[in-house]
Amino acid sequence: MMSTFLASPIMHNIFAGLAQGVIYSLVALSLVIIWQSTHVLNFAQGAMAMFASYIGMTEIDRGLNYWFCLVVSLAVGFLFGGLTERILIRPLYGKPEINAIVVTVGFLGVIEAVAQAIWTSTTRNIATPLSQIYFHDQGRVVLLSPFVLFQFGLALGIMALVAVLFRFTNLGLKLRASALAPEVARLLGVRVNRMLTIGWMLSAGVGVVAAVIVASGSFGLYPSDMDGILIAGFIAAVVGGLDSPVGAVIGGLLIGIAEQFVLAYWSADLASLGGLIILVVALMIRPQGIFAKSVGRRV
Amino acid sequence: MKWFRSIVAQERTTARLTGVLAVTILTLAITFVLPPVADSQLAGGAAISIVILGLSWLVGWSGQISLGNSGFMAVGAYATGIWAVHHGSTPLIFTFFLATVIGAISGLIIAIPSTRLSGPYLAGMTLAFSAAISPIAQNYTSVTGGEGGLFFNTLTTPHWFLGLFSGQNATINANAQWTADLAVVVAGVAFFFMANLFHSHTGRAMRLVRDNDVAAELVGINLPRTRTVAFVVSAAFAGLGGSVYVLINATVNPSAFPLTLSITLLTLMVLGGIGTLSGAVIGGIIYAFSTNLISHLNSLTGINPTSNLGANMQGIIFGVLLILTMLFAPHGIAGLGRRLRFFVKSVRRVASVSTGE
Repeated sequence: MMSTFLASPIMHNIFAGLAQGVIYSLVALSLVIIWQSTHVLNFAQGAMAMFASYIGMTEIDRGLNYWFCLVVSLAVGFLFGGLTERILIRPLYGKPEINAIVVTVGFLGVIEAVAQAIWTSTTRNIATPLSQIYFHDQGRVVLLSPFVLFQFGLALGIMALVAVLFRFTNLGLKLRASALAPEVARLLGVRVNRMLTIGWMLSAGVGVVAAVIVASGSFGLYPSDMDGILIAGFIAAVVGGLDSPVGAVIGGLLIGIAEQFVLAYWSADLASLGGLIILVVALMIRPQGIFAKSVGRRV
Repeated sequence: MKWFRSIVAQERTTARLTGVLAVTILTLAITFVLPPVADSQLAGGAAISIVILGLSWLVGWSGQISLGNSGFMAVGAYATGIWAVHHGSTPLIFTFFLATVIGAISGLIIAIPSTRLSGPYLAGMTLAFSAAISPIAQNYTSVTGGEGGLFFNTLTTPHWFLGLFSGQNATINANAQWTADLAVVVAGVAFFFMANLFHSHTGRAMRLVRDNDVAAELVGINLPRTRTVAFVVSAAFAGLGGSVYVLINATVNPSAFPLTLSITLLTLMVLGGIGTLSGAVIGGIIYAFSTNLISHLNSLTGINPTSNLGANMQGIIFGVLLILTMLFAPHGIAGLGRRLRFFVKSVRRVASVSTGE
């Protein structure tokens, strides 16, 4: 009874949607971390993650194993995020928000062009030690594989780590203080600038996990692949509320499932519109995001 | 009528008309000297300059940002293409009008949920819109021609114009130049309209909304409506620019409007100078001759243009230029010109003071 349920068309779509959705959730979470600390929406987030995971992939080409590749990608991501904040973003604090948008969009263009120049625009794949073959139950396919379960586990683990870090550690407290009241935090001895850099490093790291999952999947990763994922992640973050990490994660899962249902019951071409429709509806009902606190405007 | 008066500048209209006319006639004269290839490139630049101008208005005057103007451009382009395939014989002015109106309507549809948003939210929303165009075009193949797109040839060079040319390749030269002249004239009309809009009631209201929305609301400006108008005008210009753009190429397909086009538009606008007419002209010129500049650069540095690096040179350079301009010269080339004039003036003043005149 249970097994026929897991293999039913509806569960097929939900599993496929969740597998895509966790990727969006991770990207959305990474956008929210930056947004909370620096009020910048980083359009280069996806491209940075792609670049870091490509560098990790070159380690695999040298015959090193998957876990090492993941660690290398993460390390590169941390470094990349920190450097980006120090060099490109720091001069923009206090300037009109359009400046930061333009700079991150330009950065997106540079990273993708450089990646295509180095690695061409073809798809690359990281071979995982985990099987990508779907489970079968009494002859019927259940849309879960060891790799998909690992993907869920990894995403959940990262989210839990981020939550614990922000809530229960001294560093997390400093990070939150710097985001909420930078002047007061500075007076109390928090090195706010350093906290902003750490926020960008963490965020880039979370993004890299998403890119590595995409690259390990059966479709692989190509240099501009993260553009669509960034848009979906952004929609997820806005729907959930850009200042709510929990909202971002739930938003990501929702978008993943919505896209899968559009794909299954309407048209494969229009799948990416599932998120856009949710965004428009959500904005009409609750512009500040479903899980966000309302803020008054001070005159 | 009151609505019409609110978008037309009250004073100095003749001065602006003379200015735009002078630049248009000068550019038309230049097309007579340029070789056919350069003429075609100039036509593309003129089309893009219309789109840049619309974006420049939105960013520079209303303080909103859009990464979706390549999407509005695609809407105008597809409107033109679909109309041309079915009714190829209607006068061009009608095609341009149609593309502008449909562009404006798509802008209105996006503006309604978006004007409640600001800054990064708006940028992301419009980015999501522009990313949706290509899937829609690929899905409704019977209307849009799907992946391969639509082909049409509506630009026919009139006989009197052909008669101006003689000798070898007369027809090729005439066709290339007619296309360029047409694009330049359409751009001229668009620029004149925008020059007026800058100094109209709506333009002034827009600046107040940008600089201080609370004050604007206090003096009775309707914020959502003003922001929506800014968006609609920007989308209309993008629609018109897209229309000219595809009429030149005689084809429209989904791959003509990638995400990188949005980045290119943004780069050209910022490089030229945000919120100025001259900035949009400079942006158009850079676009027109960017392929020449890049191939020149490739040959200077010895990079093989067909190699990976050579093929991605434009993306790298445009991105780097965008970042550097925004960080170090946010007013672009037009701003540098203004600063230079100011500098010269102040040097003169200092000189006159020191000589005791």
